[in-house]
Amino acid sequence: MNTEAMSLQDFRDMLQQMSSDVAGRDLTDEDRVRRAKKAFAQKLNGHRAVDMDTCLQCGMCAEACPFYEATQDERYAPVYKFRPLRRFYRREMSPMRWFYRPFTRDITVADLKEWQHLVYDACTGCGRCDMICPMGIKISAAIRVMRHGLAGAGFVPSEMRIIRDEQRDKNTLFGVGPEQLKALVQKLGTQGINVPLDREQADVMLLTTAIEILLFPDAFAANAKILNKAGADWTIRSDAFEAANVGIITGDDPTMDLAVKRIVDKANACGVKTLLTPESGHAYQMLRWEGANEMGEPLSFDVLSMPEFIAAEIKAGRLNLTPQSNGASVTYHDPCRLARKGGVMQQPRDVLAAMGLDVRETPANRRENYCCGGGCGEFVLKSAAELRQKAFEIKKNEIDETGADAVVTGCANCRVNLMIGAENSGWDTPVTSLVETVAANLAD
Amino acid sequence: MTLLEFASGPGLQWALWIFVFGITWRVVGAVFLLARKDLSKPRHRNTVRAGLGAVLSRSTPAHAFEKKIRFQHFTGYAWHFALFISVLFFAPHILFFKSVLGFSWPHLPNTIIMVTAIIATAVLIALLVRRATHPVQRFISNADDYISIFVVLVPLVTGILAFAHFGARYETLLAIHLLSVEAMMIWFPFGKLMHTIMTMPARFQAGTAFGRRGVKA
Repeated sequence: MNTEAMSLQDFRDMLQQMSSDVAGRDLTDEDRVRRAKKAFAQKLNGHRAVDMDTCLQCGMCAEACPFYEATQDERYAPVYKFRPLRRFYRREMSPMRWFYRPFTRDITVADLKEWQHLVYDACTGCGRCDMICPMGIKISAAIRVMRHGLAGAGFVPSEMRIIRDEQRDKNTLFGVGPEQLKALVQKLGTQGINVPLDREQADVMLLTTAIEILLFPDAFAANAKILNKAGADWTIRSDAFEAANVGIITGDDPTMDLAVKRIVDKANACGVKTLLTPESGHAYQMLRWEGANEMGEPLSFDVLSMPEFIAAEIKAGRLNLTPQSNGASVTYHDPCRLARKGGVMQQPRDVLAAMGLDVRETPANRRENYCCGGGCGEFVLKSAAELRQKAFEIKKNEIDETGADAVVTGCANCRVNLMIGAENSGWDTPVTSLVETVAANLAD
Repeated sequence: MTLLEFASGPGLQWALWIFVFGITWRVVGAVFLLARKDLSKPRHRNTVRAGLGAVLSRSTPAHAFEKKIRFQHFTGYAWHFALFISVLFFAPHILFFKSVLGFSWPHLPNTIIMVTAIIATAVLIALLVRRATHPVQRFISNADDYISIFVVLVPLVTGILAFAHFGARYETLLAIHLLSVEAMMIWFPFGKLMHTIMTMPARFQAGTAFGRRGVKA
């Protein structure tokens, strides 16, 4: 396949040009604190209350966090990243609030400013801390509530705010909308790759992302080839194709709801039986595990990630892959939201094995896997560049230990971050996509 | 009324009331903040099994983390085992539990209890030193962390002194020991000693949430 993609350098330049100093909403300090507290109160349910009440402050979570590991900065201990939320819980919502209140400092706007760095720059929500906590506390869920609070208070970092507003107001991302998708589909048509765009009814509805269209059109083409080869009755809708959800990334509920509803409504209208998420970890988490909750009712269709779909099609005998005979080795990078937070761990390995590849595991893998360093939209933040690179180095060292020829992943966000990190550090291990690898090995 | 009479009479009664009422209040309060039902289609339906699995599995760290938390892992085991043996299998303690619960169980020889009590004390002091010196733990710690260690450490030390008849009259040492236990019971519902009650529900809810997604918690 040969589809024209934006170069990584052009993409990096585009990110650099995004202002990191855009004026936020004109709110008073009191308003900011009040709005943060309102968001905290909305998100603090019984599960989070048990979490707040159970924390022993043992600090073990620091040992799982790539940002702490890379810097040894105690402020990056995950338990500290939700400290204002815990203070709010103790003062305002705990059954013991009448006791805690005199001893617990109220949240201030200075706190919110400080935690913007801790929560957006120094946390990708990878959830590795959730796996080490001896109490079983979902620490990343608490930190996510912090993002909701900060979003409510107008403390979303500028770069994220720009893309959030773009998605909310224009239904585009990085300038990519229906026209760009149509142009790509047309181009693929000239290469003999059929993409059934905008069908009114279909069994399968595929999604894509702006990053895929801009940077990785070959991955989009690969999805089309795989679906065509499997004989799927499928479509992609130009009015509801964007799987990325800046709402979940920033902690902004209205944007999150809007982006989910747009897709679910269209899938329902098309009578879809299966919604396919592209190589995007957070899109899978959002639609597979949170979509029904956002909509307030169970979804009328299944949500599958591409690795799940491909593995199932191979098993059903509808998709055959050509086993490679060159003894090539790969390691699989588990995207956090697909693996630890999504349960998709075995399928990509099965798919790689079906191609006869020598699949080597990083020392920490599957649910214990290290983040690429730039998940949850962190890769757009200029203020996080140094931290992100340090976290990437951990991942790089893990991959190097495998001695594999290449690293394959199932998330475009991870792929971009691994490629940028590689470029920065002169690392030459190829970073590839699972679907592109599959598409290159489709058997007749 | 002597100090011992107060400690074993009204002091104990009030401490028990605060202990029981406080725990109930805090647990019921958390439960009232009910979580919304998860509407996503579960990967595995038997989430109860996953929840119970997490209750057990979180007692042993996953392989990738084991090396980094070895100290906390082993001191955690040593502390809890030594404490439970000292509290639950010392003959005078069993007599006390019988007076409250109405039934008893076999006790262990005093020598063993002394060894476990000394181990528990030593481990708790080690954990206290670590909290005060480890960069992360020192940074995140608040008053609750230190008070909770202190109110558990004092009954251990006074218990050992009372057993050894060391430092003061036995009755005085016993009264101080009882009062320190009562102080611990009064603090219990207010601070992080509540983890004794909350750990299993917290682990269970993590296990069910991850189990729903097909991830072993």
